[in-house]
Amino acid sequence: MTTPTLEVSGVYKSFPGVKALADVGLVLRPGAVHALLGENGAGKSTLIKIVTGVYQPDAGELQLEGRAVRFSGPRAAIAAGIGAVHQERNLIPRFSVGENIGLERLGGGWLKGVDYAALHADARKWLDVLELDIDTRLPVSELNVARRQLVEIAKALSLRSRVLLLDEPTASLTPQEAQVLFRVLRKLRSEGASLLLVSHKLEEVQEICDEVTVLRDGRNACANQPMAGLVRQDLVRLMIGRNEIIPSVSPRTREDAPTLLELRGVSTALGHAKIDLSVRKGEIVGLYGLVGAGRTELAKCVLGLHRITAGELLVEGEPRRIGSVAEAIHRHGIGYVSEDRKQEGLILAHSVLDNAGITVWRKLSGRLGLLRDGAVRARVGPIISELEVRTPSLAQTVGNLSGGNQQKVSVAKWLAAGVKILMVDEPTVGVDVKTKAYIHELLRRLAQDGAAILLISSDMPEMIALADRIVVMDGYRITGELANSRVYDPMSEAIMACIHRTAA
Amino acid sequence: MKLAALPRADWFGPLAIVILASIVITAFDPSFLSPFNIQILLLAASVNVVVAMSQMIIIAIGQMNLAIGAIGGFAAITFAGLMQVWSFPPPLAAVCALGLGAAAGLFNGALIARTGVSAFVITLASLSIFKGADLGITRAQPFYGVPASVKAFGNATMIGPIPWLALPAAVVVIGMWRLLYRQKVGRFILAVGGNSSAAELSGVSIERTTLWAHGLSGFLAALAGIMLVGRLQLGQPSIGDDWLILSFAAPVIGGAALAGGHVSVFGTLLGVVIVAMITQALVIFRIDPFFVQVVLGLLILWTVGVNRLREVRLSGGRA
Amino acid sequence: MTASIQRAPAALVRSALSNEFGLVALIAVFAAWFALATPGFASPFNLFTLGRIAAIDVMIGFSMMVVIVTGGLNLSVGAIGACSAMFFGWLSQRFGLPLVFTIPAALAMGAALGAVNGQLIVRSGLHSFIITLATMSVFFGVMVFVTRAEAFRALPPAILAFGRLRYFGYVSPLLLVSAGVGLALAALYRLTPLGREMLAAGANAAAAELSGVRVGRVFVRCHMLSGALAGVAALMAIARTGAAIPSMAGDLGQDWLLPAFLGPVLGGTLLSGGRVSVLGAFLGSALVSELTNGLLQFRVGEFWLQTYLGLMLLAAVLLDLMRRKLVARFGASR
Repeated sequence: MTTPTLEVSGVYKSFPGVKALADVGLVLRPGAVHALLGENGAGKSTLIKIVTGVYQPDAGELQLEGRAVRFSGPRAAIAAGIGAVHQERNLIPRFSVGENIGLERLGGGWLKGVDYAALHADARKWLDVLELDIDTRLPVSELNVARRQLVEIAKALSLRSRVLLLDEPTASLTPQEAQVLFRVLRKLRSEGASLLLVSHKLEEVQEICDEVTVLRDGRNACANQPMAGLVRQDLVRLMIGRNEIIPSVSPRTREDAPTLLELRGVSTALGHAKIDLSVRKGEIVGLYGLVGAGRTELAKCVLGLHRITAGELLVEGEPRRIGSVAEAIHRHGIGYVSEDRKQEGLILAHSVLDNAGITVWRKLSGRLGLLRDGAVRARVGPIISELEVRTPSLAQTVGNLSGGNQQKVSVAKWLAAGVKILMVDEPTVGVDVKTKAYIHELLRRLAQDGAAILLISSDMPEMIALADRIVVMDGYRITGELANSRVYDPMSEAIMACIHRTAA
Repeated sequence: MKLAALPRADWFGPLAIVILASIVITAFDPSFLSPFNIQILLLAASVNVVVAMSQMIIIAIGQMNLAIGAIGGFAAITFAGLMQVWSFPPPLAAVCALGLGAAAGLFNGALIARTGVSAFVITLASLSIFKGADLGITRAQPFYGVPASVKAFGNATMIGPIPWLALPAAVVVIGMWRLLYRQKVGRFILAVGGNSSAAELSGVSIERTTLWAHGLSGFLAALAGIMLVGRLQLGQPSIGDDWLILSFAAPVIGGAALAGGHVSVFGTLLGVVIVAMITQALVIFRIDPFFVQVVLGLLILWTVGVNRLREVRLSGGRA
Repeated sequence: MTASIQRAPAALVRSALSNEFGLVALIAVFAAWFALATPGFASPFNLFTLGRIAAIDVMIGFSMMVVIVTGGLNLSVGAIGACSAMFFGWLSQRFGLPLVFTIPAALAMGAALGAVNGQLIVRSGLHSFIITLATMSVFFGVMVFVTRAEAFRALPPAILAFGRLRYFGYVSPLLLVSAGVGLALAALYRLTPLGREMLAAGANAAAAELSGVRVGRVFVRCHMLSGALAGVAALMAIARTGAAIPSMAGDLGQDWLLPAFLGPVLGGTLLSGGRVSVLGAFLGSALVSELTNGLLQFRVGEFWLQTYLGLMLLAAVLLDLMRRKLVARFGASR
């Protein structure tokens, strides 16, 4: 048996309060494209960061071509032969293709200067290996996303990478561009390269990958499984599994309740088209889709952050034009719990009190426009304790709380504001199991008390447990709407069927 | 470069302005393009282009250097003082002053690179430190004992209307061009300014690159100070006091991206020429040349607005 | 007063180690040293002079502080101050308008110029550094053009008299003005929604926006406040000298830049925004004025002053860096 190019075995990694990886492993063979699958929060990105040297594992081993390796940082990983093409571009925009590829090897003394002829010739060589017709003298900023990615692959090759890791490479590519990429990957495979492909797009993974490792909740759901013999449903089952008992809540019918939020034929400046969506009072509508489907973007349009270019948005039955986030929140009672709680959902440097009270400062200010902390505490304090946020005091800096407690604070500010329509985006990512259950219960209770909740999630069990209706979104369009029977298997099959309906 | 792409080049706009302005001003005052006037223009531009280059290299790395004027002034009085008080021969005094400027720049660069404190604060502090030293050593009195050779270098002409002062200026411009477009150090400076994390991933040492950029900036500031001593014919402690806006205006007019990663040497040179022409024009129209500062401010606002639009178009929609 | 609430008794211990307490200690220590080591420092006249200068520096520091809170910079504080002063002088001398009208007018001028800065910054999305660098020269230049660089010296005697007042022989009412403004600012950040929104927007504009804060409007208000405070500082400077001089803040108003930063930075207001310490800024500026005065008493030579101030700024920034690293290491949270 040939030595595997990369062998990851028994890797553990924890962060304060969260166990990201437990006993994870995979084996990369030469001449193979290996898929790494897993839903949000499964541990994929942590594993990638360990392989590329950003993190060091708490336990376990990495072996590169049979030799044990330990990367002290990203540069060490690159030097050892781990080439990575990340989701964000790592290129110097104004530099030419050739110079970007050759940046590491830029030489030339003071007298002669950089030998650009040799630089471009070298770059040309690597682009030719990939059979790419790109002018090396073009500035990278003038290339489209697909070509920039190919340049990064050429660069990784030029560094004599033994492993090529691609993180969501087709996220921003058209189907044709993806095919060009796959041709390149197949060529590399035929020459014995080891490729690790991380992707959410199951049909692509099936098309090009030879073997698959699936992570779920920080562990291997499977490892190094040959792709042949696996159908799509098998992959889905491995990814989302059944690790949660769906509580037997009888489906609620809400035809009599008023519709609080409705979108009719809405198109947006971000690319949505003909979106029809409605949420009634007391209802939880799930908006399901894979990463990149356009759900978060739609929520932000409803919130007034981006323009709605066609169609109607109705709040409590009245058509409205929402010009700003402040208007959405204070005038229409629409709230949004962001999926990115650290950058958008919370102000990490400020206290729990300041974070939870931000939506109600203006409302609470008394005569003379003054607002005492006491007033904020009176409003926010009960909510914080009701949510069982574990914090020594309201003055605690939010950045020091655990992920689950941070999430509770970011929800608390909407409860304090008393919003009637709440859009919740990936509420339980990076949150411990107990808090996850708590948040689910909280959402149910809010709906029962009369809020209209739009739940954006790529977590299938969560979706099926909570939603009364499930709307499926793919490629910035609605591709299906289902009443939730809350019976897991048929629902998940139906939902997945809706998504792949638009697959080319 | 293809003909159709010409208008997009950074220097195209400024060049058009220079040509247009020359025509307009000469129409009002034919003596504008006389050899004597050209000499005056070149004398002013020669010093200013070195000042502009000193800031431009810091803009390239994505930072700012508030201490340029202070370093220039400090080097200027050191130059003059060494010659007057200790009778140093001019070349030796110049080398010492240039070394001092480079050291001052390295001081800045080291603090910025090691402590992670913003370039703004560090150079604001060093601005005060060097300005204070400047005033402290001279007690706000100029050094008058500048040797005749230096005075001549600062004012006499070489060939026709072209002054000797244009020589170091030309060397700096050509050297800067070569550095930024042909030398590893210069490419690294632009790489760090363009995308510092990508540069670091590719093995570029941000610390060493910062040191190089600031060391060169200090060196050039000192050179400009020395040149001014020659032109003003005394070691004036106030040298450098009015460099701040000019040092930003010229690169910005020349198309520099303030976030770093892109500057135009030729564009900056044209920017300096435009500034010199504006100053001259104000004199001709009998407006106090002080108001060149106002025009510079307005020009900066205009150009950053335009540059910003261009940048947004370049990066907009691309992942 | 820091804008984060200190609740538990453990907070008292934290206060003792805090920046503000350190500044008070330094002020006291240096005061004692200067008083003992020099004949002139503790004299009523010197304390009076020191008080007036400190009051103006504190105000200049406040003017910059309210913009630093947003994570930005305002290089035009000196230029705006000079413009407000000259506007005041023009209205007083040319039209003989009474103080009750000219003082608010000067402040309004400052706020208006600040609004120009704010709008330019918010609409262009460009960094406040380059915008205020440009407006600094435009404001100053237009002012010089309009006034022909002539000072106004025939001002209402009341304002000079105010500047000359002495309580108990050595306290200047200008200090009380600064203290009063300081209290008002502290109240702004602690007790009003606007102040809290300023801190939130400065700490994380995206999160603030998504929480319903009108970030653009808030930033413009910060700049307007900065301009108005620069106007106050300028009026105080007029009270001290009795004249409105175009070069009061130096060429283009540059002379105010260093005091504008020193106070807030020494006082612990982070340049990254989102945190403020009004008391710290007050104490920081006061300390710097005290040290400057003391150095002059020691006949250190006024020319070297700037060097000491620059070194002080460096030391302050580096010490603050170390302090924050220590605080992070030993956990200031629990």
